[in-house]
Amino acid sequence: MLDTEALMRIGLGHYIALSGIIFSFGMIAVMMRKNVIVMLMGVELMLNAVNLSFVAFAKEAGNLNGHIMVFFVMTIAAAEAGVGLALAVAIYKKFHEVNIRFFEQLKG
Amino acid sequence: MMMEAIAFYMLAGFLIFFSYKVISVPNPLHSALYLVLTMLGLASAFFNLGAQFIAGVQVIVYAGAVMVLFVMVLMLFDLKTEIRSFSRGLISGALKVMSAALIAGLALGGARSSVTVLDAPAGAAVPGDVTRQLGILLYTKYLFAFEILGILLLAVAVGVVAVSRMKGGTHARH
Amino acid sequence: MNHALLILTLLIAPLIGFLFNGLRFRSHNAYLAGAVATGASAISFLCSVTLWTKLVSLPVENRVLETKFFEWIAVGTLKIPFGFVVDQISIIMILIITGVGSLIHLFSIGYMSHDERPSKFFAYLNLFLFNMLVLVLGDNMLMTFVGWEGVGLCSYLLIGFWFTDPAKAAAGMKAFVTNRIGDAGFLIGMFILFFTFGTLDYSDLAAVVPKVAELGWTGPVTMACLFLFLGAAGKSAQIPLYVWLPDAMAGPTPVSALIHAATMVTAGVYLFVRLSAVLVLAPHAMEVIAWTGALTALMAATIGITQWDIKKILAYSTVSQLGYMFMAVGVGAFPAAQFHLMTHAFFKALMFLGSGSVIHAMHEEQDIRKMGGLKKYLPVTYITFLMGWLAIIGIPPFAGFFSKDEILWQAWSSPHGSKGLWAIGAITAACTAFYMTRLMALTFWGKSRVSPDVHPHESPPTMAIPLIVLGILSVIGGWIGIPHVIGEVLPGHPPNIFAHWLEPVVAKVEAGHGSAVMEWSLMGFSVGLAGIFAWLAYDFYVRVPSRPKAVAAALGPAYRLVENKYFVDEFYFGKIINPLVEASKAIWLYIDVNFIDKATYFAGDLVSGLAQLVKTIQNGKTQSYALYMALGVVIIMTVVLSS
Repeated sequence: MLDTEALMRIGLGHYIALSGIIFSFGMIAVMMRKNVIVMLMGVELMLNAVNLSFVAFAKEAGNLNGHIMVFFVMTIAAAEAGVGLALAVAIYKKFHEVNIRFFEQLKG
Repeated sequence: MMMEAIAFYMLAGFLIFFSYKVISVPNPLHSALYLVLTMLGLASAFFNLGAQFIAGVQVIVYAGAVMVLFVMVLMLFDLKTEIRSFSRGLISGALKVMSAALIAGLALGGARSSVTVLDAPAGAAVPGDVTRQLGILLYTKYLFAFEILGILLLAVAVGVVAVSRMKGGTHARH
Repeated sequence: MNHALLILTLLIAPLIGFLFNGLRFRSHNAYLAGAVATGASAISFLCSVTLWTKLVSLPVENRVLETKFFEWIAVGTLKIPFGFVVDQISIIMILIITGVGSLIHLFSIGYMSHDERPSKFFAYLNLFLFNMLVLVLGDNMLMTFVGWEGVGLCSYLLIGFWFTDPAKAAAGMKAFVTNRIGDAGFLIGMFILFFTFGTLDYSDLAAVVPKVAELGWTGPVTMACLFLFLGAAGKSAQIPLYVWLPDAMAGPTPVSALIHAATMVTAGVYLFVRLSAVLVLAPHAMEVIAWTGALTALMAATIGITQWDIKKILAYSTVSQLGYMFMAVGVGAFPAAQFHLMTHAFFKALMFLGSGSVIHAMHEEQDIRKMGGLKKYLPVTYITFLMGWLAIIGIPPFAGFFSKDEILWQAWSSPHGSKGLWAIGAITAACTAFYMTRLMALTFWGKSRVSPDVHPHESPPTMAIPLIVLGILSVIGGWIGIPHVIGEVLPGHPPNIFAHWLEPVVAKVEAGHGSAVMEWSLMGFSVGLAGIFAWLAYDFYVRVPSRPKAVAAALGPAYRLVENKYFVDEFYFGKIINPLVEASKAIWLYIDVNFIDKATYFAGDLVSGLAQLVKTIQNGKTQSYALYMALGVVIIMTVVLSS
């Protein structure tokens, strides 16, 4: 018999698990998708997953430090998206495609 | 209690489904749209966790601004459905999936197990007026970090303009 | 002025001169370079004189001025301060070095005025002065060694100063390599002393050495002294390492005067005078030193008779005189050694500078067969050279007489001496008189054999003044060390100032046996011998110029043996250097090629093979890099979390 009580009482653990799953998806996108823009979306997924865990921890701990962190992460994420997309634009201008394999050109 | 659990599981199901779709659909534009849905789902999760302000920012900044930027770039490039959207290699693919899962599991497991060292008692309620408290905290204790972030954003803005302007912007003469 | 500041100025002045000339080494302005270098040297000389007056004003038992600038080395029990000491021994040395040095610097201005690289020359000379001062002022053996190596370097640079001539460059290398052999001995001697007594400080060494003499051959003091003597033999050109000094005459003549006659080559003598307290404990080492010195003196003097190059003759003469000094050291007559060192510095520097003046006048001609009758062209050089000649053959009252006869008397009478040593010394004195008179005769007297297109001319005043000063010193320099027996009969009874001056700092050897009558007769004998041989040489080379050839022919193989310098160089090359080279080549071809090279190749191949393997990771695929990073993070987190 499953411990339904533990499953029903939603707590930190549940949110952490959810956050972990979403983080893995983001990371898989970064490592496996060929399209640079989809890779950037993977990064956004990872950041969001981390934000979720921050908020969950903040609730657990009963203070707002986690929220502040999320605020900062969002700012960084926005900046990162801007730069990443600008690089994608630069690649597109050169190759008319946004495939990560073009980054191999940078090999030393 | 029961309702809360059902709501959480529904939300979790949606989030996992949408984020899976983000990484699996071959058309980048579809990925972006699924990502918007994921963001919105996360916003509601934040709301559930009592972070109303963060949830609002999530909707406005992420689902609104950042994703609009993504979609705009994608439409600018006019990308079609990709024939081969994943990188080659079965073993490396398996390794990648495994390592991603392991990192997530280890990081969050480690964080979970160290949560006992937090000073406040577990399950303590977040004080009522969250947004006000957040504002006070941001402009007092974290003021320096906040200012630094402002400078960072300025630098990024300039940098992005510089990168995009190279060789005459998107309308470069070929 | 405080004495630390004086010592600092004394040392720094030549160093600044070196830097000044060294930094503008391309300059062709011999007068500026020479003026700066001479000025630096003169400043040092003034400091030396001031230090001397300070020292004289101190009470006799406490005549020492010490200064430690900083702690140089401090490892375990080895503590080496960067310290200098001025006492009765080193003050004489620095007065000679800076005084004679200044005169030679002055002489060089004229001598090097037509050279292509005068700045370099004067820079090296000043660097030499600095190193020589460090050598004699250092208050411990390691400081002395620093100067010792420094003067060796300067000697090498100056012998090979005209390095475009391969023979001269080779002479420089020969000097350097030969000195290295000696330096190894010096180092080993130093190690033994430190290992045995735990200190390298001269005053500490004198205090901690045992008070009874060592009788065996293998005791630490004897071994240390023998190894130090090997070092001294290298620097001061004694058997078996004297071969470099005659070749060192390839350098400019002022260099020969300063480094290879007056100062650097006497460093070995200085070292043993400084270490007299240690040396007297090793009678066997003293015996070795005395006999080596005596044999060197005789051998070099006989070679000197057969040479034709004016500078070579003087070089062999220097080796011979250094042999005298070592003989004195070996019989325990340390003040006599130091005294002869000083008078020799005067008259030998004078003779070298005189020969430089002759060579300058003869347009770089050094063969005395092509000279003769030069006294009417070079009056100043002739007169001053005459003083040097009288001094070196030991005619009273010139400087050389007092110091040489002091050594001969000590060799006879000292408990460490013997009749044999005295006999060798006396024969050497006779040979010295012969070859020096021969040199005078062939160069200045007799008929001129100068080739008609050479017009000898007297040297400029910058070259004449040092000659005159040194000439005067060659006459009166010996008067501060008049032996007791002579002093007694002279009006006013002049004491032996020099011996009294050194008495408190050198080890005392028990007084010699022998009466005043004996001393007088020995003195008369050696002077008479020198006079006879000088007259013989005059007879040979001026009155009957055909006789030398006849005598040489009559002597046959013996003459050829001496003329070819006893085939020592040939012996070294044939029996030591070439076999060593052959053995090294064999070792190279067998061991190096077969084992060492292969091992290194294998190591290199191994690394590059591994690199080929690992290279595939570096494929430029960004996502692979991300994977490696993720794997790394997994590993690190596992380790961190599981601990």
